[in-house]
Order: sequence, then structure tokens, then C-alpha cells
Amino acid sequence: MTGKKSTFTKEEELLLQDFSRNVSTKSNALFYGNALIVSAIPIWLFWKIHMIDLYSSLISFVVVTLASTYFVALAYKNTKFVLKHKVAVKREEAITREVTRKLAEDKKMSKKEKDERILWKKNEVADYEATTFAIFYNNALFFALVIFSSFYILKGFTPAANYIMSVGASGGLIALLSTGGK
Amino acid sequence: MGYLVFVTSILAFCASTVLSSSCTKPEVSAISYTTQDATVLTKIAFVAEFSLKCENKAKNIPLYAEVNGKTLPAVQKFSGPTVDNEYQVSWVEEVKKSRSGDYKVNLYDEEGYGLLRKAIRNGEDISTVKPLVTIILSHPGAYQGPWVNSEFMALVLSILVWYLAFTAKSKVLS
Repeated sequence: MTGKKSTFTKEEELLLQDFSRNVSTKSNALFYGNALIVSAIPIWLFWKIHMIDLYSSLISFVVVTLASTYFVALAYKNTKFVLKHKVAVKREEAITREVTRKLAEDKKMSKKEKDERILWKKNEVADYEATTFAIFYNNALFFALVIFSSFYILKGFTPAANYIMSVGASGGLIALLSTGGK
Repeated sequence: MGYLVFVTSILAFCASTVLSSSCTKPEVSAISYTTQDATVLTKIAFVAEFSLKCENKAKNIPLYAEVNGKTLPAVQKFSGPTVDNEYQVSWVEEVKKSRSGDYKVNLYDEEGYGLLRKAIRNGEDISTVKPLVTIILSHPGAYQGPWVNSEFMALVLSILVWYLAFTAKSKVLS
């Protein structure tokens, strides 16, 4: 790692950006796209299994799906942020070894450039792993919560009320858990 | 003339009753039906159909059945003029109370049934009254739906997946 300075160099700013809570547009699109799919899937469950009336519930489908998409995407982002640092630390050694071996023959490359390559690679790996894992983890939790709440907790409610509450609460809960957990 | 006919018919009736009221060396062949699918039912039906063959050619004698201490009449089947000695015994039981396995259906003729009734009335052991013949009705048990319902299965699987994700996350975060 480069030494600490009062003013950041360009690379350091780039690095900071990589490790910040803000995610790139591409990552954002991935998160929101995934969140939308995941939030819309419970409609199928309520339509086919809980026998909800499709047409009269259209508005609640749209509203709940959008709200849930926002919450799920928020949970993805939070989880990714928490995971990315840890993944980077965990994979650092392996990535350093691999990149060093690859660049070993290249005598012309300076030590600084090699370090940068390692840093860049590490960031890329950590970003990819954290993103995919955050999606997987939150999807698993979201579906488990939806199934549990819709089949057990809110069993006695009408399908329409059950849908709004179970999907809304599950989305809210995973967003909350993603901020709470460390 | 009319009187004569009357007497003759009475005599004939008595003769036939005396002749047919006992059955020696009875042989039965039975087929049975029991409810197998009780997912939407509250009671299980047991039906046994059997034909009786007596050495002395006794025909269509009244028979009574006893199952688990309960008595019920065996109904004669008259599906055609040539069908003799065909009987049916049927009863229903609550799904929860019915057990699977073999049910012993003891059949009695009128004499035996009288003794059986007497034994029941006096609170005696009914197994002392020897039945005319016994048929075994086997009930394999009724299907009452799956052991675990699908939503429970879905919940277990989803929790399992989440648990795997959670342990993986904990490993990364540790």
C-alpha cells in the first residue's frame, strides 16, 4: 500500500471510489434489475398458490414490487459494501501471488506499476465476488422470509393483504438487516 | 282348495327354513374393498362380498356378521335368479379410528347369532361363540395426504439455502 498523505493522489481517489458505498452504473443496473426480478417473483406465488385475484390487485402488485425492488437493491448495496473489504483482505495474498507470477517475466515494468496492477485486480475480484454474493445472500433471505410470512405468519389474512404485508415486510426486513449486520 | 294351498305353502316354508337354517362345512370365497384415499373423506368404507357354499346345499340362509364386537346383518345379493348364496357386509369407520391391517369378519347363522346376542347381553366373552365361518378383510391403510405439506418443504429448502449463504457470509466476514 502507498503511504498516507494529506492530499490524495489520483490513484488513491480512484481507490477510494472503488471502496466507497457508491456503486458504478453497471453495478447499479445489475442490482436494480435483479431486485426487480426477485420482487416480482412472489406475484407468481400469490397468483398460483394463494389464489389472489390478479386484476383487482394490479395496483398493489406495482406498488409493492417497486417498493420491494428499492429495499432489495438497498440491501444488495449494503451487503456488498460490507463484504467487499473483507473479500479484498481474504483474496489479497492469492491475487498478489498470481499477478506477480504473471508479471515476473516483464522486467521493464516498475514496482509501482506492478503494485497498481495487483490493487486493480484485487479490487476487480473483490467487487465481482461481493456483488454476486450479495445478490445470492439477499435473494435467499428474501425468499425464505416471503415463504415463511406468507404461509405461516399471515396465513389467516386475505391473499391481497397477505401479499402486501409479506412482500413489503420481507423487503424492509432484509434492507434493515443489511444495515444492522456489522 | 284354498285351505290346502295355504297349508302346503306353510309346510313348504317351514321345510325350507329348517333345511336352509343350517349350513354344514361352509366354504366362502370373498372379495373386499376398502377406501384407499382419504384425503378428502371423514370415513372409511369397508365392503366384503362373499359367496357361501354349503355341503348340504343350504341356500340363502340369513347371515349376520360381527366385526370388532359390533354386529351387523349380511345383506344377500339378488342380482339375478341364478345367483344364490351371495352376500355383502359393509360398514364405515372414522378415518382417525380406523387402523390398517386385517379385519376379522365373523359370520353367524341365525342360531349362532342368537348365542352371540346372548353372550353380548350377558357381558360374556364373545369369542366363545363359534362363528359359522370367518373371513379376513385386509385394509392396507388409507392415504391421508403427504407427511409434509409442500409449503413446509418449500420453507425448509429456502431456510437451508439461506443457512448456506449465511455460513458462507460469516466465513468471509470472520
